[in-house]
Amino acid sequence: MDFEQSPNHARGTARVGNDQPKKAPVPVKIIVAGGFGVGKTTTVGAISEIAPLTTEAEMTAASVGIDDPGQAVTKTTTTIAMDFGVLTIDQTLKLYIFGTPGQPRFAFMWDDLIRGALGALVVVDTNRIDDCYPAVDYFERAGLPFVVGVNTFNGQMTYSLEEVRWALAVRDDVPVLSFDARFRASVRDALLVVLDQALDKAIRAKST
Amino acid sequence: MTYPDPDDPARPARPSVRPFLQSGPQAAGGYRPSSGVESPADERTTTLRPFVITSGRTDGADPEIGMETQVTVNQAAIPMRLSPEMRSIVALCGEPLSVAEISARLRLHLGVTRILVGDLRAAGQLDVHVLDNETPDPETIMRVIRGLRAIT
Repeated sequence: MDFEQSPNHARGTARVGNDQPKKAPVPVKIIVAGGFGVGKTTTVGAISEIAPLTTEAEMTAASVGIDDPGQAVTKTTTTIAMDFGVLTIDQTLKLYIFGTPGQPRFAFMWDDLIRGALGALVVVDTNRIDDCYPAVDYFERAGLPFVVGVNTFNGQMTYSLEEVRWALAVRDDVPVLSFDARFRASVRDALLVVLDQALDKAIRAKST
Repeated sequence: MTYPDPDDPARPARPSVRPFLQSGPQAAGGYRPSSGVESPADERTTTLRPFVITSGRTDGADPEIGMETQVTVNQAAIPMRLSPEMRSIVALCGEPLSVAEISARLRLHLGVTRILVGDLRAAGQLDVHVLDNETPDPETIMRVIRGLRAIT
């Protein structure tokens, strides 16, 4: 066993628990971001093999020092709900899709969230384009590959894709596409574009 | 929004975690990643009100433990006294499960879940399958692409 203790042993390939009796799959994740009500949960639900799960973080915004469990604190408590879904690629690989609120005050969560993420799909409602600005800002600065997906949930778009691209002023290599969050095939195709971006980045990273 | 799971093996003793406080610096920063490199110090950039179940710890979470990190029971674990929340976690992890799924199914705050999973790992009760290399490699991405293309 001693020969396995070389200092380089821990680095390199993405193996997990090779000594474990039960082999855990390798998890990968894609982030679905955007403002409230743009269809993040619909997107996650369309592709997930399980009903989307919600993990919650509750935080009190203004009630400093108040500690009365008997009182309703609806006004001062903000619930950050993150919906996520799972897609089993095969026995050894699982794709997690996390839907995350795009509000500025939730930005602190994203550092954790994007660590190791393959990429992100920013969901846009053309009626409220500016809702997605925080997410676009964040992913640009973080260097995470992302794709802008205009949700045609209502079967209509107030603005064309060109106009959306103009409004967002994203780099030319950031794809701006339309998709329908209700349909699995449509969400799948949007995620495949995200993965293409992720692959480009991973290959570039490897060759340098 | 939530989908209650009737098969929940165990509910935590308390319905939800005591609300904690968000205060301080991140409000000013906007949507900026906290730094170019991911360092453990990032874990401490937000000041949260101490959690109850974790005996007040908010920053004990191992930065290696992500939301998607897979967790399994350590079969060789020595039986020991555990809090109800910890027992619930151990009971769930007979099959590999992600930290986020544990949090959702037990309705435990995500931050609390990460800390408790870290504690259980340190106590030898759980195996936490931390990836050697968390930067996605092209081969893995290709497998995801092939897998996604296969679904209809």
